[in-house]
Amino acid sequence: MPNSTFLIARREYLERVRTKAFVITTLLIPALMGGGILFSVLKSKTSKPASHIAVVASDTDFALDLQAELEHGKESAMKVDVISPPAKDTRQTVVDQTADKQIDGFLWVDAVNGVLKATYTSTSNADISTTTTIDNAMRQVVMRQGLKHRGLAVGDIKSMMEPIELETDTIKNGEVSKSDTMTAFFGAYVLFFLMYMAVMLHGMNVARSIIEEKTSRVFEVMLATVRPQEMMMGKLFGVGAVGLTQIGIWVTAAILLSSQSIVSAMGAGSMHIHFSAPQIIAFIGYFILGFLLYSGIAAAIGAMVNSEQELQQFNLVIAMPLAICMFVLGPVISNPSSTFSRVMSLIPTCTPLLMYLRISISNVAWYDIALSIVLMVATIWVVMWFTARIYRVGILMYGKRPNLPEILRWLKYS
Amino acid sequence: MAIVQLEHVRKAYDTKIAVEDLSLLIEPGTMFGLLGPNGSGKTSSIRMMIGITVPDSGRVELFGKPFERKDLARVGYLPEERGLYKKMKVIDQLIFMGQLHGLDIATATMRSHAWCERMQITEAIPKKVEELSKGMQQKIQFIAALLHEPELIIMDEPFSGLDPVNATLLIDTLIDLRKEGRAILFSTHRMDQVEKMCDSICLISRGKQVLSGTMREVKSRYPRNRMLITFDGDDAFLKNPGIEEYKRYNNSAEIKLRDESAAQQIIAQAIGGAIVTRFEVMEPTLEEIFIEEVSRGGRVDA
Repeated sequence: MPNSTFLIARREYLERVRTKAFVITTLLIPALMGGGILFSVLKSKTSKPASHIAVVASDTDFALDLQAELEHGKESAMKVDVISPPAKDTRQTVVDQTADKQIDGFLWVDAVNGVLKATYTSTSNADISTTTTIDNAMRQVVMRQGLKHRGLAVGDIKSMMEPIELETDTIKNGEVSKSDTMTAFFGAYVLFFLMYMAVMLHGMNVARSIIEEKTSRVFEVMLATVRPQEMMMGKLFGVGAVGLTQIGIWVTAAILLSSQSIVSAMGAGSMHIHFSAPQIIAFIGYFILGFLLYSGIAAAIGAMVNSEQELQQFNLVIAMPLAICMFVLGPVISNPSSTFSRVMSLIPTCTPLLMYLRISISNVAWYDIALSIVLMVATIWVVMWFTARIYRVGILMYGKRPNLPEILRWLKYS
Repeated sequence: MAIVQLEHVRKAYDTKIAVEDLSLLIEPGTMFGLLGPNGSGKTSSIRMMIGITVPDSGRVELFGKPFERKDLARVGYLPEERGLYKKMKVIDQLIFMGQLHGLDIATATMRSHAWCERMQITEAIPKKVEELSKGMQQKIQFIAALLHEPELIIMDEPFSGLDPVNATLLIDTLIDLRKEGRAILFSTHRMDQVEKMCDSICLISRGKQVLSGTMREVKSRYPRNRMLITFDGDDAFLKNPGIEEYKRYNNSAEIKLRDESAAQQIIAQAIGGAIVTRFEVMEPTLEEIFIEEVSRGGRVDA
């Protein structure tokens, strides 16, 4: 690395790690992310639908059993009023009560020609958890009632309907080990978002730093001694080193935090996030590749625009490919080895996020990993080639933002 | 050996010709003025001298040999657009610039302090650039261009935005540097400074060289046809056929003569109707030459 590239990288690095923004993002991003995930896990564990509903059914036995299931069942803690059998004015009463918000809704169960028909009426049409709970509870109750009518003892019915715990094992490196799907999932999830934030943040930092030099006209002085390529490389190395420092801090903090004692002290004992060494190596490796790709694009944009405001308009160019990764996050997590997942994770703009995600939640074939790296390196090379050309001309152009033909002409300048 | 030599240099950006057939020569220990109205190609010419851009045709020589990047360590450049890292401390910034020019930290630190003292801005040393006034920032930039003791100093509009006290300080410093044998090129459109300081000039207008040579050569090409008269009374003498044009002020007039010999006749006529307190026949000022040559070439971009 030429001396001036090193000097520029060092300046960039030192100036950046000293800023408040660095300290804040380093602390805040994992805190928010970890906190948010922990919160949603804890919340989803304790939160059972607690609606207050009325059950109207002609079959009193059925209605009482359903009440018991909804009030004390595994998944719910509702308050249930039973009206059985219904009187003439019952319908009007429950409708009024629902409209007055005395109850959240009512469930009307009819038996038409021996087939049960149930309707849940409420004021909100998006209360998925309540309807799901009622749906599940009714299945249980219908089955229990059916078994009872066929003369089975209550104790037998109970033991028959006891749920089975499913345990999962995975084979990694030829050894069968106990896997904790939840753990793997949350670990991957946290790192996926950290990767997203890190690539996005530091990519944009490169663009911002170029614009800062452009608006303050520092370029003019620098170019009297330094080549544009040296400046660009220095900047990429400097900002990239800041990113690696930040990730280093995060990884260390994550290892410390994921130690069992701290997590259980926080009241989430059953869910410990575990990061393996290959996972961390892959994270750093894919961060470097992702950073180089996105910061290369960002550098070209930075050299073309004149101000932060103009940069905002181009944010989409960087945010869009990353957003695509978010859209396909669901299918990839649920089936990390499908053809769709493989193809998506080989697209260079998605590789850092998706291939990394696949590696952390499944066994990815070595040739997939190798191919993804080859494709990324090739793409980075192409992007850098374009960027270097645009950068060289763009940094000395002030005023008007160039249009496409002008940019194409810049590529031809030697 | 010439410090800078340009030969028939041409540079075009797309359809706009920035510099056309420019040749100039800067000797060691001299001060060279590159003059021209805004947008005439001064900055483009300077950029070619220090390899920021490459000429389309023609030759650029630095220190007596074709341009090489390593020679840039012997050049100090103060661009027209001042640029410093706003968040950086002054001393860090100066050391960084010094290191980029090949100095080690110790030398860069020592010289930075010495120069800050010389430029009377020691109180700025520990501050961040954004906390400083514009004039101070300019001095820092000036120091940054000189830290590595360059043999060629290129300054694009060095005095713009400086108050008279600081401008004088800068001029004195540049004159000292010339005495030490450095070659100094500066571009400006402030003709009074050029007239006082420069040994040679080159005037360009719309990318083309209009005038060049030593100060004496340039001036001697123009007749002593300027007349300044301060008087009280009748100004009928201004109608004299020997006067090509004049500018009338409160108690004085600036006159351009058709012929040097008309001067005596005009003063005689003036004394007849007015009390003349001052009378002078002069060669044109550089400013007048500038305006004349530039407007001859057509429109002046403001």
